[in-house]
Amino acid sequence: MGLLLIDRLRRLNRAIALLVGLGLLGMAAFVVADIALRQVHASFGGSEELAGYAMALVTSWGMAYTLLELGHIRIDLIRSRAGERLRMLFDLFAMIMMSGVVVTIAIKCWPVVERAVTNGSRANTPLATPLAWVQIPWFAGWVWFALMACLVTLAALSLAVRGRGAETEPFIGAFAEQDSLK
Amino acid sequence: MITYVSVGLLALLSLSIPVGIVLFLLGFGVDQFFSGFPLTRALGNMVWSSSSSATLIAIPFFVLLGEILVRSGVAARTYAALDRWVSWMPGGLVHANVATATMFSATSGSSVATAATVATVAMPQAEKLGYDPKLFSGAIAAGGTLGIMIPPSINLIVYGFLTQSSIPQLFLAGLIPGLGLALAFLIVTAIICTIKPELGGTRRVFPFFQMARALVDLVPILILFGLIVGSIYRGWATPTEAAAVGVAGALLIALAFGGVNWTMMRDSLLGTIKVTSMIMLIIIGASFLNFTLSSAGLGRELTSFLEGLGLSPLGFIMVVVVIYIVLGFFIETLSLMVVTIPIIVPMVLAQGYDVIWFGILMIVLIEMALITPPVGLNLYVVQGARKSGNLNEVMLGAIPYVLVMLAMAFALIAVPDIALFLPNALE
Repeated sequence: MGLLLIDRLRRLNRAIALLVGLGLLGMAAFVVADIALRQVHASFGGSEELAGYAMALVTSWGMAYTLLELGHIRIDLIRSRAGERLRMLFDLFAMIMMSGVVVTIAIKCWPVVERAVTNGSRANTPLATPLAWVQIPWFAGWVWFALMACLVTLAALSLAVRGRGAETEPFIGAFAEQDSLK
Repeated sequence: MITYVSVGLLALLSLSIPVGIVLFLLGFGVDQFFSGFPLTRALGNMVWSSSSSATLIAIPFFVLLGEILVRSGVAARTYAALDRWVSWMPGGLVHANVATATMFSATSGSSVATAATVATVAMPQAEKLGYDPKLFSGAIAAGGTLGIMIPPSINLIVYGFLTQSSIPQLFLAGLIPGLGLALAFLIVTAIICTIKPELGGTRRVFPFFQMARALVDLVPILILFGLIVGSIYRGWATPTEAAAVGVAGALLIALAFGGVNWTMMRDSLLGTIKVTSMIMLIIIGASFLNFTLSSAGLGRELTSFLEGLGLSPLGFIMVVVVIYIVLGFFIETLSLMVVTIPIIVPMVLAQGYDVIWFGILMIVLIEMALITPPVGLNLYVVQGARKSGNLNEVMLGAIPYVLVMLAMAFALIAVPDIALFLPNALE
C-alpha cells in the first residue's frame, strides 16, 4: 500500500508542479509586458508586488514536488558509506526531522494568515492587495507540504516495520548527486 | 554560541538531514538556549517575508532560462561554433570546452547547469577525436564553475539577498574576475599542452568562411547576454525583470532554432520548480537562522571573539579562505554559502572589508569547492556525462584549474580593485 500511495502522490505533485511552472511562465510574460509598456510611459503597475506573491506561491506549492523527487539537498558523505540497514535509518531519521520541522512551519504560518483575515489587512502598496487573498493559498501550500512529508514518513515507516525497508530507498533515499540533475 | 552553532551545524549535516531543515533546527536551538524571548513566534512572518520576494523570483527565471537553452539544443550549436574559433590553440578542443562554458555562464546563473550543458555536448567529441580524458573533462568541470561568477549568477543573487547588498553591483564586480578566470584557464591549457602535447589533441584550423558562418550560431547567445546585462545597467529593468526578459529571449532563440515542443517545455518547467524549491527551503531556513542569531546577540559575541583572536584583518581573511577551502571539500556549494553567510559575513565586515568584494572572493572559493573532491558537484556532473573511465581522471584534470582559482583568490585579496573597479567606475 505504501508504494502505491507514493506513486499516486508523485503523479499528483507533478501535476501541481507543472501548474506552478506555467504560473511562473505567466508571471515572466507579465513582467516583460510591463517593461515594454514602461518604454511608452505606461504600466500595469505593481508588477514587482505581484512577482513577490508569485514567488511565495511557487515556493510553498513546489516544496512537496521537490520532496517526492528527492530534490532537497542532503550531505550524504557518511550515509553513502553505510550499509543498507543503517542507510535506511539515516533516511527515516531525516524524514522524521523534516516532517516535524515542516509541520511546525505550517502551524506557525497560521497566525500570519489569521491576522490578515481578522484585520482585513491590505498590503502597504499602491495595489493595496488584501493580504488574505495571497496568504491563504500560500498557507495552504505549506500545509500541503507538511501533509506530504507526514504521508511519506508514514509510508516509509510502515514498510520498514514490515521488514521491507530496502524498498524505501527510492522515495526517501538520497540520490547520487549526478542523478539528481536528470 | 558560535561554537555550539558551528558544531551543531556540522553534526546535523553529517546525519544527512536535508540542509534547509538543518538550518531551521539550528534556529529553534538558538531560540531555546540563547534567547531571552521566544523567537520562534516570528517563524511564520519570517517564512512569508523571505519567500514573498520580488528579488528572489529572479532565481526560477534564470533557472528556467538555462533549462530552455539546454533542452532546446542551442548548447550543441554553440559548442560547434566555438570549436571553429578557438581550437587552433595548443590543446585544441579543450579550449572550446572553456569557451563554451564561459559563454553559457553569461546566460546561465548556475555552475552545475553550465557544466552539465557543456559535458553533454563535448564528451562524445573527446572519445571520437581521441583526446586524453583527464584534461578534457577537468576543463569542463572548471569552466562550468564560471556560471556563478559571470553575471547573471544565482549565487550572487542569494548573497545579495542575505547580506542586503546591491545585486547589480555584485554582478558588475563578478565580470572582470570571471572573464579573468576564463582567460587564465585558456592560457594554462595552452601552456600545459605546449609542454605535454599528448594531454591535448590535434590543433584544428578551420577555413575562414566556416568561422564566419559559425558566428551565426553565437550571435543569439551574445544578444541574450547583452539584453540581460544591458537592461540592468541601462536602468530599464531590475535584475528580476532582466531575468524575465532573459526567459523570453531564450524562448525566442529556441523557437528560431526549432527546439520548442511540449516535452521540452514540460521538462524545463518541472526542472525549474524542483531546483527553485530546493534553493528556497535553504534560503528560508538561512533567513530564520540569521534572524535568531542576530536577535540572540551574535554581533556582540563576534566582536569579542574577534578581539580575542587578535588577528590582523589580513590574517583574519586568510583564516576565512582556509575555512572555505576545508569546508568546500565536504559541503555542497550553495549550502556552504548560505550556511556560512550568517556567521562569517558579519565578522568580515567588522574587519572593515567591503561587502561586494567579499561576495566575489567567496564565489571564487565556492567555485573551487565545486571541483574539489570528495563533494564537488561539477566533477560528478562531468563524470555522469562520460561513458567510460573513472572519477579520478576528472579530479586529476581539474587540478591545474583549482590552482588558477587559488591564484585568483589571492589576487583578489592583494588587489581588491579586480572586483571593485567596475562597480566603482560606473557608480
